Amino acid sequence: MDKELKDFAAKNKQNLGLVSLDVPLISNLNVWVNIALIKQYHQNLPDDKAELLVLQYLRVYGLEHIANKQTSALTNKERFFAMLIRAAMVMDSIIVIDRPFKIIPDVPDDRFIYNALNIIYDSFKECHIFDYTWFKDRYRMIYVEKG
Amino acid sequence: MSGKKDIRMIDIIERIGKTSINATRSFRDTLSFAFTIILKMFSKNSYSSATRMVLINQIYFTSVQILPLFIGISIILGSLLIGIVFQIIKTLGLAEYLGRILMGLVVTELSPFVTVLLIALRSSSAINAEIAVMKVNKELNTLDKFNIDVIDYLFLPRVINGVISVVLLSALFSILTLTSGLLFSKLMFGMSLDTYSNVLLNSANFYDIVISLVKCCTFGFFITLIPIRFGLHATNDLTSIPIAVLNGMVDVFIAIVLIEVLSLILSFI
Repeated sequence: MDKELKDFAAKNKQNLGLVSLDVPLISNLNVWVNIALIKQYHQNLPDDKAELLVLQYLRVYGLEHIANKQTSALTNKERFFAMLIRAAMVMDSIIVIDRPFKIIPDVPDDRFIYNALNIIYDSFKECHIFDYTWFKDRYRMIYVEKG
Repeated sequence: MSGKKDIRMIDIIERIGKTSINATRSFRDTLSFAFTIILKMFSKNSYSSATRMVLINQIYFTSVQILPLFIGISIILGSLLIGIVFQIIKTLGLAEYLGRILMGLVVTELSPFVTVLLIALRSSSAINAEIAVMKVNKELNTLDKFNIDVIDYLFLPRVINGVISVVLLSALFSILTLTSGLLFSKLMFGMSLDTYSNVLLNSANFYDIVISLVKCCTFGFFITLIPIRFGLHATNDLTSIPIAVLNGMVDVFIAIVLIEVLSLILSFI
């Protein structure tokens, strides 16, 4: 699986929005700066506009209150949402979620992920989930391509 | 007996050779990294809204947060040193060289040195640990995966901040120390504010100020660049963080001494 993910990431490097524990949020930045960083760096978006944009995204998940939190203070679900919004900040984003149940171990199946993606469906081009074959049964709503 | 001695001698020579090669390599790598940073510094593409935000935060952490401590130390240390210098000047009857001694000692030597020591103790160690922690936590990998250049986003603002902070704080140290000199000049030599200012202004040498400025910039550049480079030496183990910080800080102090010596040689030429 690691090789498949690496190959896919390499092929889509320019538009890759990775959600993975191997690509953590930056610990010395608070949540909104972590997310805004992508637009600020790649599109030179001024910090006040970037902050507003991030707050809009957090609001749709009802998570405005985590904007100024440090990443260490986040719950697993909050961390997942922050990583997902950060991935959606990439232009024409191809979101890749790497082993989502490692990030949100307390979630029983893919309904949570499906709903989370559905809310911001117009903010990304594609979404791909990479996971172990033995987690196949946990995917009911999302189309499973391989194993 | 003689064979054993020869082997020990060869061991010692080999060790010296290895240490020299490692030191030379480290020095070459630092210069090469410095060159890369300088090139990036003058490239317009290196600056984005994110970089500017990091730069402002870094200046705040390094130059603004330290102000109460820095002003306190500058007043106490500056007054003490000025008191000693004035006492020596009075004892040796060198009052006519007062301005020259003050400008040469305070502005060119003392201010950059005290400032760089304080900033190195506080900020260089923090930068070193910060970069090492980011490396261990795979946060540098995060930046890479999102196509963010670590030099543009992380290193450049820190190095620029180092240069700006050392220059500004060194100037502040000079101002505070020379102001405390006013008090001592009045007490020990009965000098008025006008006379004291004239003595200082007449002794101000453009060359001294340029050397001081160049020295501050060089200090600021290397006391942030070296910790960054050593922070990157951390591996994936948490235990590599203290080693990276320790090695980095030792090199920072070697760099400070080297720059100080070089600037002294330059000023005598």
